[in-house]
Amino acid sequence: MESNEKVLIKGNYAIAQAAVNAGLQCYFGYPITPQTEIGEYLSGVMPELGKAYVCAESELAAINMVLGAVSTGVRAMTTSSSCAVALMQEALSYACGDELPVVLVNVMRAGPGLGYIYPAQGDYNQSVYGGGNGDYKIIVLAPSTVQECIDYTYRAFYLAQKYRNPVILLADGLLGQMMEPASFGENPYPEVDVSSWALTGAKSREGRAIYSVGPDEKKQIQHIYNLFEKFELIKKNETSYEEFNIEDADIILTAFGSMTRNIKAAMTVLRDKGLKVGCFRPVTLSPFPYERISNLAKLGKKFVVVEMNMGQMFKDVRYAVNGKSEVSLINRPCGEWLSVEEIVSAVENIYKKGACYATSI
Amino acid sequence: MEKNFIIAGFGGQGVLLAGTILANSFMLADKNVTWYPCYGAEMRGGTVNCEIVVSDTEVSSVHKQDTDYALVLNQQSFDKFVQRVKTGGTIVANSTLVAETKPRADINYVFAPMGDLANELGTSKVTNMVALGVLSSVVDVVDKNFLALGFEKVMGDKKKDLIPLNKKALEIGFDAVKI
Repeated sequence: MESNEKVLIKGNYAIAQAAVNAGLQCYFGYPITPQTEIGEYLSGVMPELGKAYVCAESELAAINMVLGAVSTGVRAMTTSSSCAVALMQEALSYACGDELPVVLVNVMRAGPGLGYIYPAQGDYNQSVYGGGNGDYKIIVLAPSTVQECIDYTYRAFYLAQKYRNPVILLADGLLGQMMEPASFGENPYPEVDVSSWALTGAKSREGRAIYSVGPDEKKQIQHIYNLFEKFELIKKNETSYEEFNIEDADIILTAFGSMTRNIKAAMTVLRDKGLKVGCFRPVTLSPFPYERISNLAKLGKKFVVVEMNMGQMFKDVRYAVNGKSEVSLINRPCGEWLSVEEIVSAVENIYKKGACYATSI
Repeated sequence: MEKNFIIAGFGGQGVLLAGTILANSFMLADKNVTWYPCYGAEMRGGTVNCEIVVSDTEVSSVHKQDTDYALVLNQQSFDKFVQRVKTGGTIVANSTLVAETKPRADINYVFAPMGDLANELGTSKVTNMVALGVLSSVVDVVDKNFLALGFEKVMGDKKKDLIPLNKKALEIGFDAVKI
């Protein structure tokens, strides 16, 4: 399915087909709501294409199968949801240390623990800061529409191989389950040459090994410096965000993922009421657009973070603002997405009271 | 213009399919649209529903607290969603399975025997298409010609033989209610 024809498609199916278009050679996964359709779709498509589909015995197995597959230079992916992504944290730390181009899709549900299958945005910290050991960073992309589920899946595979670093596509139950018109177009990214490092059999060349451990202290220290030099390069090249009506805004609504839709609609309503409100939306949650937010804060613009968790991105926005202006939070932990009306009235209250610290709804 | 619809009924009445056809009809009419199903515990027993939002601009929330229109195919869904229709909104109900009551004075009611009309066509399987036909006669933004195109798009080439019967069901639904 590669064409500009618009199709009405579920976010989960869109991610699955986009992965195929991006050259997915191996899929390893284990079912969990609200992302099971990704595996369901690929279980049909991948064997037909002569590619690998494995329903693993656990999420732990699935992510480690991905590590093994990508170390040979092929494109591989696993997909899961919140509490099961928690099981994969060790492997993500290894993948960063080993510099392996893992692609992981997390279609978020509510936590902590088993939680429930309602949509939520509670895995911001899990994705951006991670639960693995050691110093590492993962590239995190947060789509807000089904079209972006397609576009960012293409991007995820490209960035993973370009930087030899894991990439998380952070969607949520709402995006996974909803249908929306979208088109697949063509994967816009070039092939990445992996021949210099992939484990392809040492026929007529020196043997290679991929590992993150360094019994040589100096080498280990240098390895981490090298990784962070790479993260700096990723920050410089790949940090991306969207902004709307920023120029004259005195309050900037900030959200990630599918909540972006609601803050944009709230902005329109508030503008109609004469309030100068803009929107800011990080596309890459990691690297996070600290610099841009910092510059906007220095202009005196106040931030209102709207998210479906207890204030996870809120902390990063506050860190970026660094006391130069004010930051408020409008949030709910999970379930029914904050409605446009709720956001509008919360922002009106913030205008009335001056800035407030947090407005849990 | 942004309008939302809830379609609800028993599992097996073709509720999610009806929503998919409706959403496709909007897409084919060059509108922005989203479709969002219930996927929680409720789908594991009894009723099922989905929500469609259509807009001239980008769709904001895909899942809203209240609705402009509710299309309900059974009594349970009527009882549940009559409470969520906006003041001035409309509930369209399958009177084959729903008692013709009007528990609220601030909304509009349309009753049509969708199940009976489908049975007259020979199969209750087209109840959902009769229902969409009724909806198109009641709601301006819903167009029965685009619904027919939406049906063809969803069914694809493999199920072309189903088109004549389902188009007929749409027509019968469209003519069922005199406004």
